[in-house]
Amino acid sequence: MLRFLARRLLVAIPTLFLVVTLSFFMMRAAPGSPFVGERKLSPEIEKAVMAKYGLDKPLHEQYANYLAGVIKGDLGPSLKYRDKTVADMIGEGFPKSLTLGVSAITLALLIGVSVGVAAALRQNRGADYAATAVAVLGVCIPTFVTAPLLVLLFASKLGWLPTAGWGGVRNLILPVVVLALPQIAIVSRLTRAGMIEVLHSNYIRTARAKGLSEFRIVTRHALRGAILPLVSYLGPATAGLITGSLVVEQIFNLPGLGKYFVVSALQRDYTVVMGVVILYAGLILLLNLIADILYAALDPRVSLK
Amino acid sequence: MRPALPLILAAVGALLAGCGGSTRPACPAGELCLEFGNTGDLISLDPYKGGTTSELQAVGEFFTPLLDTAPDGEPVPGVATKWETSPDGLTWTFHLRDMVWSDGVPVTAEDFVFGLQRLFDPKTASDQASQIYAIKNSKAVNEGKLPLSAVGASAPDPHTLVITLEHPWPILPYYANSLVMTPTPKHAVEKYGDAWVQPQNYVGNGPYLPVSVKLGDKVVARKNPRYFDAAKICFDQVSFYPTIDAVSAERRVKRGELDVNTRIQSNRVEYLRRPGQMPDYVRVHPWVGVTYLAYNMRDVPALKDLRVRRALSMAIDREFLTKKLLRGGQQPAYGFVPPGMVDYKDGPRVDWADWPFEKRQAEARRLLAEAGYGPKNPLKIDIKHRNTADPSLVMPAVQADWKSIGVLATLTPNESQIAYEAYRTRDFQVADAGWVNGNNAMDYLYMQRSDVGTQNYGEYKNPKYDALLDEADQERDLAKRAEILKKAERIILDDAPVTATFFMVNQNLVSPRIVGWVDNSLDTHRIRFMCFKDAAARVAALPKQ
Amino acid sequence: MTVLGPELAPGTGGGAAGLPSAPLKGRSLWDDARRRLFRNRAAVAGIVVLALLVVAALIGPYLTPYAYDQVNKDDVWVGPLSGAHLLGTDSLGRDLLARLLVGLRVSLAVGVVATVVSLVIGVAWGATAGYLGGRVDEVMMRIVDVLYSLPFIFFVILLMVVFGKNFILMFLAIGAVEWLTMARIVRGQTLGLKEKEFIEAARAAGVSSPRIVLRHIAPNLLGPVVVYVTLTIPAVILAESFLSFLGLGVQEPLTSLGVLISKGAQDMELAPWLLIFPSIVMVVTLMCFNFIGDGLRDAIDPKDR
Repeated sequence: MLRFLARRLLVAIPTLFLVVTLSFFMMRAAPGSPFVGERKLSPEIEKAVMAKYGLDKPLHEQYANYLAGVIKGDLGPSLKYRDKTVADMIGEGFPKSLTLGVSAITLALLIGVSVGVAAALRQNRGADYAATAVAVLGVCIPTFVTAPLLVLLFASKLGWLPTAGWGGVRNLILPVVVLALPQIAIVSRLTRAGMIEVLHSNYIRTARAKGLSEFRIVTRHALRGAILPLVSYLGPATAGLITGSLVVEQIFNLPGLGKYFVVSALQRDYTVVMGVVILYAGLILLLNLIADILYAALDPRVSLK
Repeated sequence: MRPALPLILAAVGALLAGCGGSTRPACPAGELCLEFGNTGDLISLDPYKGGTTSELQAVGEFFTPLLDTAPDGEPVPGVATKWETSPDGLTWTFHLRDMVWSDGVPVTAEDFVFGLQRLFDPKTASDQASQIYAIKNSKAVNEGKLPLSAVGASAPDPHTLVITLEHPWPILPYYANSLVMTPTPKHAVEKYGDAWVQPQNYVGNGPYLPVSVKLGDKVVARKNPRYFDAAKICFDQVSFYPTIDAVSAERRVKRGELDVNTRIQSNRVEYLRRPGQMPDYVRVHPWVGVTYLAYNMRDVPALKDLRVRRALSMAIDREFLTKKLLRGGQQPAYGFVPPGMVDYKDGPRVDWADWPFEKRQAEARRLLAEAGYGPKNPLKIDIKHRNTADPSLVMPAVQADWKSIGVLATLTPNESQIAYEAYRTRDFQVADAGWVNGNNAMDYLYMQRSDVGTQNYGEYKNPKYDALLDEADQERDLAKRAEILKKAERIILDDAPVTATFFMVNQNLVSPRIVGWVDNSLDTHRIRFMCFKDAAARVAALPKQ
Repeated sequence: MTVLGPELAPGTGGGAAGLPSAPLKGRSLWDDARRRLFRNRAAVAGIVVLALLVVAALIGPYLTPYAYDQVNKDDVWVGPLSGAHLLGTDSLGRDLLARLLVGLRVSLAVGVVATVVSLVIGVAWGATAGYLGGRVDEVMMRIVDVLYSLPFIFFVILLMVVFGKNFILMFLAIGAVEWLTMARIVRGQTLGLKEKEFIEAARAAGVSSPRIVLRHIAPNLLGPVVVYVTLTIPAVILAESFLSFLGLGVQEPLTSLGVLISKGAQDMELAPWLLIFPSIVMVVTLMCFNFIGDGLRDAIDPKDR
């Protein structure tokens, strides 16, 4: 196990390094500067501001300084929001994105697995086709179509839920549902496929021959093998949730990190962009690691190498 | 696994059923809270570091400037109760009232001097400072050429502030009520340095104080008990929301989650005015703003030709833009200075203002042909524009209008910030820009001065024009001043270095529950004059308007 | 079912009794697959509808009475079936049918081109890694692992921000994101194929390595690759629509399904047709690709017995 972790760490470090480097140079290559608004700064003042943030130094020096800062844990100040540091903004925004993402994946797993199992057990019958059709729809309708429709129905017309904003649990219901829908679709199809494959295998036939109840077979024996493809999917799933959250956070005015990434990129707030990218890269690496460990734990045939 | 599903459904059902009521954030018992949609996040809580309408609204509640703003937008006494001008118009003396900061320390004239020095300090990097360059030496100090002490402001005693000017400035009161003319708590800055603007350290002299700032979420402010007029303030708490999406904000106002939103998407105004929608929420008023196109006369040979600029300018169907596209009450612009300027009535209009559109198109084609462009040699030009809602709607129409006179235009949209950066560096051919400033004609005409620097996007150079503006600066009689400025405007209308497409309107959604909101051309609305209609006792106590 | 054709049925004439007079019509794996595919009703429906959509996208814009960028000043926000505007108009009075066809064309183009980009890179990379094996394979796949962990959507956004909202760039950016999975699949397949006898034989006969890869391995990859391609195109179209929603997509007056939908969602109370029609077209298009892809997968690799 330790060797496995060590090897993964070895892959993780160059990855993070690559991420920092790529995003640093890409941001700097973008035209425009963070210090422009409708009123112009005189050249003297602009020079002073650039000096204050160290932006007048040669590029490789800025890069080295930034790396040094990151290693120490200092992500720098925001260039656009003059009172805030990147750490502030991440500290405020990330827990919210995390809540959103975790709730969505939980909902997706709960509903998706249930539906997938049910469809597998009723394979090729009406319910199965219905589930497949709904699943395809779920993948094919973008979140920025379902979101306004749901808002229109549940918030504007029926008045059951708030329209937007961050508040209590009620503010989370619509965004989480919207975010979870495509995942439910994919999870249910993966579960169904996995379940079908497992149900035809020898050890299940043995269990049936031994006279175990269908329910016990499904939950205690089949499920474990059936969700293996799901576990491999968890990594890309998280990536999908992150992308989806960009849109959902914008539509529902949720102060998460995803929204800030786009806004900051467009505003050339270099430090915030880099901070967010590093965070997400680290997150994906961590989640892939967890998925691999889970997979090995669930499937005795696989060992961690 | 499967029993989990009905459980979930039951839980969700319970949540939904149990709470069909209000979706407003909770307000402490017995208090009145205002939920204010403020269009954007605050760049900073420092009054000198942000100048968008969002800061003007929110930070404007945390500080009281030299002069204050009445509900109708007019300047009234603020920290200063009365003022005089010297005979030559170059020295203004302000007498300050007794007032304390939110931490009890008295507000003195020294705080104003300190504030102005900080404003013009190059290290503060304020992009608002240039508004009041009329103050003696301020430009030089701002550029680092003179020490801070050279700024033309002094405090002979704690209740007297003396300001010296570069040139007579009769319209100073209209700038004295802005964020740049607020005092800065010297003692707080000395104690906390740059961290004085963090909510836990914040010291202000306005009716409200910021309690928490969460980007993307909201800024919560509570009544300042030490504000000199605190007893008359109605709302105990105000929350400012960064409502970037105007349509989403509109839905929130409709549901009562927000009481106000400071923007409406322009082409929805008509829809909202329908009975059954939100007719009593819609507030539209002409604004001190103009949207225009600038022609790059430095780098584009075609645009150096007056005939081409005239043709392009007259071929735009301003009636269609305002009545059918924007539909928000905007006025088509046939001049450059917006209507409603103080002491500037009946400004000039372009000579083709009353021609029928077909005549303008024919004339435009004729002018282009004369300049050498036609079907065999069409003029190809690029319009760089901001990608916000209004320009995104208007620019394709301009493109189509120009196509019908044989000009092939391409559109290059950009984030506003990027667009303005490009204009600054003259990286454009035709630029779409908007300018909202004060209610004085000079606020719009100064941009075409040859020495104004980056804001003269098209690099228009006309010494006669500059001379007229200088003359106006020295003229103390407002009526004579207006005549000089009209002559100047006439010049740029004839020369067409820029062409205005429409004059803006400010559009707000205001809940009918609110009293004390007065639509005005500056779109300045101070919250201490507002209250909820049904809170009779507090309404009666409001300060007189 | 018997493989023998009717010529072998007794008494149907042609030659001496019991002997075939015409050559045996053999059935290859491709025939099997094709037969299975055409039996899958959903896949067939998908093929037909998609073909119609492609034809519409290609020639439709030349047939509509209005040009897609034509501003009709008196027809702002006109509903469907009014006058000559079959599907209504948008906020600038432009005909929705014309814009929808152009938008479909753009979205399909982005989908196909980006997928081809990812195909070319992925197949080349994966086949080379799989065939050469050993250290080269390890290094190449390690690189894929590192790249896999990057939060790609962020880099696509950064690319769009840095280089402007360039049409061509979008193809490349999205294509560059998708090639990794393709590379993995291709490498897996190549590893399996490499050990087969016919490759052994070719090598023994002295065929050069590149020729082997090109002429023997590549055609056998066709199956899974084709499936993957059909499933990547909708993912790319969705990615492009996300970018459009965030404001980074194609620019005026050009449009895509994503742009149409996100603008339509804004004004859905005033002009619901602007949301409904583009959404239907996008969902149907994506569903077609999904059904075809699923059908192909089942046809080539039947598992659900």
